[in-house]
Amino acid sequence: MEEKQVILTGNPNTGKTTIFNALTGLHQKTGNWPGVTVEVKEGSFTYEGINFKVIDLPGTYSLTSFTEDERVARDILVREKADAVVVIVDSSNLERNLYLVTLLLELEQKVIVDLNMYDIARNRGIAIDISHLEKLLGARCVITIGNKKTGIETLRKTIYEVSKQEKQLTTTKINYGKEVEEAILPLENIVKDISSPYPPRFFALRLLEKDIDIWSHIKGQSNILNEVKKITEDIYNKFPDIERYLIEKRYGFIHGLAEECTKRIDVIEDKIELTNKLDRIFTHPFYGTLLFLFFIWVTFNIVFNWGSPFTDILEKLFSFTSINLKRVLFSMGCPGWVISFLTDGIIGGVGSVLVFFPNIFLLFFIFAALEDSGYMARAAFVTDRLMHKIGLHGKSAIPMILGFGCNVPAIMATRTLETKKDRVLTILTIPFMSCSARLPVYLLFTGIFFQSHRGSILFSLYLVGIVLGLLTARLFKRLFFKEETPPIIMELPLYHTPDIRDMLISAWERSYLFLRKAGTIIFAGVIIIWILSYFPLSAPYAGENSFIGIIGGKLSPLLRPAGFGYWQVAVALLFGLVAKELVVGTLGAVFGGEVALIKSLSSIFTPLSAYAFMLMTLLYIPCIATIAVIKQEVGIRWAVIATVWSIFIGWLVATLFYQGFRLY
Amino acid sequence: MQPLNRVKQGRYKIVKIETPCRSAHRRLMMLGVFEGDEIELIKPAPGPVILEKSGTRIGMGQGLAAGIMVEQVKEDK
Repeated sequence: MEEKQVILTGNPNTGKTTIFNALTGLHQKTGNWPGVTVEVKEGSFTYEGINFKVIDLPGTYSLTSFTEDERVARDILVREKADAVVVIVDSSNLERNLYLVTLLLELEQKVIVDLNMYDIARNRGIAIDISHLEKLLGARCVITIGNKKTGIETLRKTIYEVSKQEKQLTTTKINYGKEVEEAILPLENIVKDISSPYPPRFFALRLLEKDIDIWSHIKGQSNILNEVKKITEDIYNKFPDIERYLIEKRYGFIHGLAEECTKRIDVIEDKIELTNKLDRIFTHPFYGTLLFLFFIWVTFNIVFNWGSPFTDILEKLFSFTSINLKRVLFSMGCPGWVISFLTDGIIGGVGSVLVFFPNIFLLFFIFAALEDSGYMARAAFVTDRLMHKIGLHGKSAIPMILGFGCNVPAIMATRTLETKKDRVLTILTIPFMSCSARLPVYLLFTGIFFQSHRGSILFSLYLVGIVLGLLTARLFKRLFFKEETPPIIMELPLYHTPDIRDMLISAWERSYLFLRKAGTIIFAGVIIIWILSYFPLSAPYAGENSFIGIIGGKLSPLLRPAGFGYWQVAVALLFGLVAKELVVGTLGAVFGGEVALIKSLSSIFTPLSAYAFMLMTLLYIPCIATIAVIKQEVGIRWAVIATVWSIFIGWLVATLFYQGFRLY
Repeated sequence: MQPLNRVKQGRYKIVKIETPCRSAHRRLMMLGVFEGDEIELIKPAPGPVILEKSGTRIGMGQGLAAGIMVEQVKEDK
């Protein structure tokens, strides 16, 4: 079948995802673009015997290289040379949305303007003269109402027709005024000869705008660089704020265009009034904060309470399968190591991946609702004041709070953050948020050593985690991201009821990505731990002479300064790498059952070393699943940094605590 | 002339935008907000400030709003 490529782009909040879902149905996946940390989705549909591959770019306002999203969008646009580029436009907001359209035309893309949310525009009293707009822009225009699936067939047909054209239709050019045009022309002539994927005029304009990525294309060629500098410096003298001048010129052009093509009709404005009222409540310093905490509480409950019955069923299913398979294999006379490999290794490994699925799916379902409804943008403002002081973004708060449930979905929740810097910093704090898997360890130890102060001890641990997480963010911001965090400024979409189908698709896509990418790493980690525990064959499973026991023995001297230098404890901490709740189970196994465990623990730990051990468990390393998901989201480098850093901090804090208070 | 974080709900004309942060100013322009424009202040301080300009609703922190100098627009009605 013939293959063609379509790119979907547009401002945030234009209903782009809904159009993408309507176009492609369930034929979609989250694309795997090298070096891209923002979400790029791919899908496909068939029309007139042609298979159209659709790439859904992250929502952007512009095509500069100042933000990650814009850079990604631009790179993909110039690299893929799509057969058609559909710009989804919010019809009720034509002026602002056409800005991106003009940039795409300068990029010489075969643009189709999709006037989406046309019903909202009508309600706001705006009518658009499509054929006039087509003529002025020199690009095809289509009307759609994404959430009602109106106009999708026309959009498909238009994509088909445009994909058959050789080049873009337009000859429309924005005139930037005599002086600037006189600089653009020679710049175009200079850059025409260098090899770059950009059209000369686009290239010349970005040079004037001081776009670093574009300038780097001519860095090495000193004669070209000198010629370019001569022209640009002249312009910079005449227009000290050339960037602003160009933006204003573009907006001037668009303003004229929008005036000519839109007509005011009778207004039905209830929705705006409602949004105004809701905004005054949701971003109110007091009520807004209360509502934010309430929504977090609801999210937490749904994600972890609704999820846990499913998790329990999955766990039971896996242990049931494991036990019965053991029995069957044993009766068949299979060798012990085969049985253990299949049950403890393989089934255990798959199990430890799948148990996360219900929580992650629910989390992304709720997140889709919060994002689609428009609330997420407001929530960012509520927490921004505090987060900004630490160097994080208002949107960092929600993932951090989710970390108390489970770090894995929390890290995936950072996808709502727009810049890589904010994502990385937020992700680095999350492993220090004490997830629910660490609770069994605290419960065991506080039960033995701090009977009367359990509550305050638990609280202190959570607090230590939060403080160290925030300090980590500050420190790493200083080390790696020197630039100032810009003050928060965001477009706020009108509130609307989220579409269930879009929510389900979004939840499924994102949780499937977790299974596919993080799943394999978690599985491999579990298998490695199994091998280390089972071999050599002569030693009992995870005993002192098994590989893991030997490693534990070698590590135990390192733990001595922290007050718990025993091989059993070291082995338990190694198992904690798979999942932190295993620390308790492993201690139970190596000390021989629950009664013996409490006895042995009371004899080898003091209250002081017990607290140090709890600090260690809280901080020492993210579990394999967390490490895997950090790698999946922001790359191996940050996964390694997060791991090494937390081991260091865990050991340091536990040791300092133990040594510091031992003297008293 | 007053900063946007000190005024009440209503219609205003932006006289001057003074922000030390280049990227925040750039974002404002991308969203179509320039000096000389008329805007509607929907939610005043305390807390974040929300304004509307030709159908686009923009939220910003108080710090940024403090750098946007406005003048009240008299209603003709």
